[in-house]
Amino acid sequence: MTKLKVATCSLAGCFGCHMSLLDIDEKLFELVKAVEFDRSPITDIKHCGPCDIGIVEGGVCNAENVHVLKEFRRNCRILVAMGACAITGGIPALRNNVDLWDCFQEVYHYGIGLEKGQIPNDPELPLPFDRVHPINEVVRIDYFLPGCPPPADAIWKFLTDLAAGREPKLDYDMLHYD
Amino acid sequence: MDTLETAAHPENLRRVVIEPVSRVEGHGKVTLLLDAEDRVHQVRLHIVEFRGFEKFIQGRPYWEVPVLVQRLCGICPVSHHLAASKALDIIVGAKQLTPTAEKMRRLMHLGQILQSHALHFFHLASPDLLFGFDADVAKRNIVGVAAVAPEVAKKGVLLRKYGQEIIRHTAGKRVHGTGSVPGGVNKNLSRAERAGLLGEIDTIVEWSREAVGIIQKLFADHAKLYESFGRFESNRLGLVRADGALDLYHGGLRATDAAGATLFDHADYQSYYELIHEEVKPWSYMKFPFIVAQGSEAGWYRVGPLARVAQCDFIPTELAEAERLAFKAFDGGAALSAPLGYHWARMIEMLHAAEGIKELLLDNDLSGGDLVVRGEPQLRGVGVIEAPRGTLIHHYRVNEDDQIVSANLIVSTTHNNQAMNEAVRQVARQHLDGRTLTEGLLNHIEVAIRAFDPCLSCATHALGKMPLELTLVDAGGETIGSLRRDGA
Amino acid sequence: MTKTFTLDGKVIPFEEGETIMEAAAAAGVYIPHLCHHPEFKPHGSCKLCTVNIGGRLGAACTNRAAEGMKVESETEALNADRRALTQMLFVEGNHICPSCEKSGNCQLQAVAYHLGMLTPHFTHFYPARDVDASHPDVLLERNRCILCELCVRASRDVDGKNVFGIGGRGIKARLIVNSASGRLADTDMSVTDRAAEVCPTGAIIRKRHGFTVPIGQRLYDHHDIAEVPVAGMERPKK
Repeated sequence: MTKLKVATCSLAGCFGCHMSLLDIDEKLFELVKAVEFDRSPITDIKHCGPCDIGIVEGGVCNAENVHVLKEFRRNCRILVAMGACAITGGIPALRNNVDLWDCFQEVYHYGIGLEKGQIPNDPELPLPFDRVHPINEVVRIDYFLPGCPPPADAIWKFLTDLAAGREPKLDYDMLHYD
Repeated sequence: MDTLETAAHPENLRRVVIEPVSRVEGHGKVTLLLDAEDRVHQVRLHIVEFRGFEKFIQGRPYWEVPVLVQRLCGICPVSHHLAASKALDIIVGAKQLTPTAEKMRRLMHLGQILQSHALHFFHLASPDLLFGFDADVAKRNIVGVAAVAPEVAKKGVLLRKYGQEIIRHTAGKRVHGTGSVPGGVNKNLSRAERAGLLGEIDTIVEWSREAVGIIQKLFADHAKLYESFGRFESNRLGLVRADGALDLYHGGLRATDAAGATLFDHADYQSYYELIHEEVKPWSYMKFPFIVAQGSEAGWYRVGPLARVAQCDFIPTELAEAERLAFKAFDGGAALSAPLGYHWARMIEMLHAAEGIKELLLDNDLSGGDLVVRGEPQLRGVGVIEAPRGTLIHHYRVNEDDQIVSANLIVSTTHNNQAMNEAVRQVARQHLDGRTLTEGLLNHIEVAIRAFDPCLSCATHALGKMPLELTLVDAGGETIGSLRRDGA
Repeated sequence: MTKTFTLDGKVIPFEEGETIMEAAAAAGVYIPHLCHHPEFKPHGSCKLCTVNIGGRLGAACTNRAAEGMKVESETEALNADRRALTQMLFVEGNHICPSCEKSGNCQLQAVAYHLGMLTPHFTHFYPARDVDASHPDVLLERNRCILCELCVRASRDVDGKNVFGIGGRGIKARLIVNSASGRLADTDMSVTDRAAEVCPTGAIIRKRHGFTVPIGQRLYDHHDIAEVPVAGMERPKK
């Protein structure tokens, strides 16, 4: 049996969804019998190759996020939005009603005990967007897995359903937005 | 010595970038500037994402903050949850928590230390240590470890699981729970829950001890490499208990210099800002903190397991204390400044956490019913905790209407900003300078970064993110080649 | 003789003058709703309780039950419409469940769970809305308001204070406070008012009480809203 290729990444997220993925605990060893990880924070593969499933955590907050997201969409047959941030923007979207310039000023000019206050502007830093966006506003998404983070059981059920060719279905206890 | 922070003439150099840095938590990149002879002229670790928590929590009701700000980080949410709660304890006038509340929080925190340290050592760092820094990229991950050393991988996964279960029992769920509230906690632990968790604790303590043995043996077997790799000298910062013991939940601030001399001790963290300032550099969203008295050039420091274990007077649990003594004695103290010494100190702390969890689970106070206290409200509070990665500072001001007016957060990885940059530059000097860069050589840079267990997720609370990939750009700015970890 | 109608094939007894919603609730059958509350005059605005009454669509909270009526509620089509309505409510406001103290006890969230909503789907508005923290004991979080007007009705009809109102029209409609300053502190609102506890979401909350119920013990943590009777929804004892 050929293994499913799975890539994962975190955009404007906190890595909590990836932690929840690891919270399947020892079932991880069962999972890797059916699944091979491509690009992911747990491997050293830096760019996503052709994959069966791409799992994206986090919303889109800067130009680099868009490049990564589009690379995932191009390469992944099935693209999954994992967690509140990817689906709604999440907590980072709280800044959507604050002027980005005010945000920068607060952090890099007015902070307590701050010296050489200045707003970082090196070309190495990707362009931040004025708003944080859910990923389905940027690319087509095939499945949504809500939660902050989605429970490990939900991730496990979802992946094993997909691997078995079933339409994924979450029980009540697996569906939470917080 | 050339600091390698800023090249004198960047315009004639070629740029190499490692993006994203992988097997760390969060996103970052490293850029190197090289001349025609492959000599390294500039190395920078950039934090490239911005989130602006300090701004957007303004106006929020204060009791929401411990639950809101833990979303800074999914790896160590408990640290933010508790640091914010400690600051808010001050704001609600809770001078002394009930024994049940304090012990529930301590238990939650030790669960966090256990799971985070296990995650870092086994899931993220162990492939480099077990296979070599330039091993085949395809097997350099936890799945590769499971194939070669299934017992090691399994114990790592189960150690993390146990820590996560402690968090679930105390906070309601494993990631982003709600257990701690201003002035206390929202639940206790039943006797039955305690008994269930105690059932496995001896195995957890034993496996933690074995983990210390793994890194100790690696140091012994590869002493020359492990002691020198990315080595630099620096000040240290961390909390200590009143008697000088390691205490990850509460204490006073202690800073020591590279030789171990005291810079300040048992300092009240409510006025941390008189001791520590931060500098902004244009090329990173992560600020650069330093000790005010030493100034920004000499005052930077390291935090985290290596700083804590090196500068505490003792560890108050038996097995971990024995390991601390062995660690300090190793080769005349050679591991105390070595970046890879972080792994060793981290495993000693994991053992301490396992022992501490056992002690707490046996304590009937955990099942008490007195959960919250309140007192005379205050308008300002600072909470500091030793998170898995180091000292974590949360500082809030509120108005009379219970809303947050301002916030200042200095996260663990930010404290280590200069130290990580220093380690990366040392590795560049030691291993990359004048050589043709290969994927394996570039991984050396990441091995040094990983030693700090940086949480670039936390670190981007201000604005942005940090992944590793290398692109070669010629003097005219034209891309002449790129190097990626996937070999593409 | 008891009069009856059928709801999704189930025989539901009713008393003359009862709405479909009232009769269903008394029989322990859940019809999704947000703006309805048994203590208050039906409003018919959220449209979530729309049912198929013998071939035409109508709000269960305003249509009276009639002998022999055939009502459908839990159908694919009706639930798809309900899901879309709920999704619109989510994107029109700023419903950030992860940090909301009402999470787990929120009817908007619970209805969305009941309907299997996995994503708000529509483009988020991220509207700029105010928080009014001026009152010493009650916080008004307009980001979470769904304009159900339960607080308006409770304050006017039960508390006799008329603290709240709806200002503006269409997408600009918003919850306003009836004081010269527009601030809650300048009204006679009290934390013991019915209006302070009737909000189905986290828009009106008691200050300093958030997150005191542990995860796992909240209303909808393990039970679908259809299985959790709303207080007062039982048939009033005669």
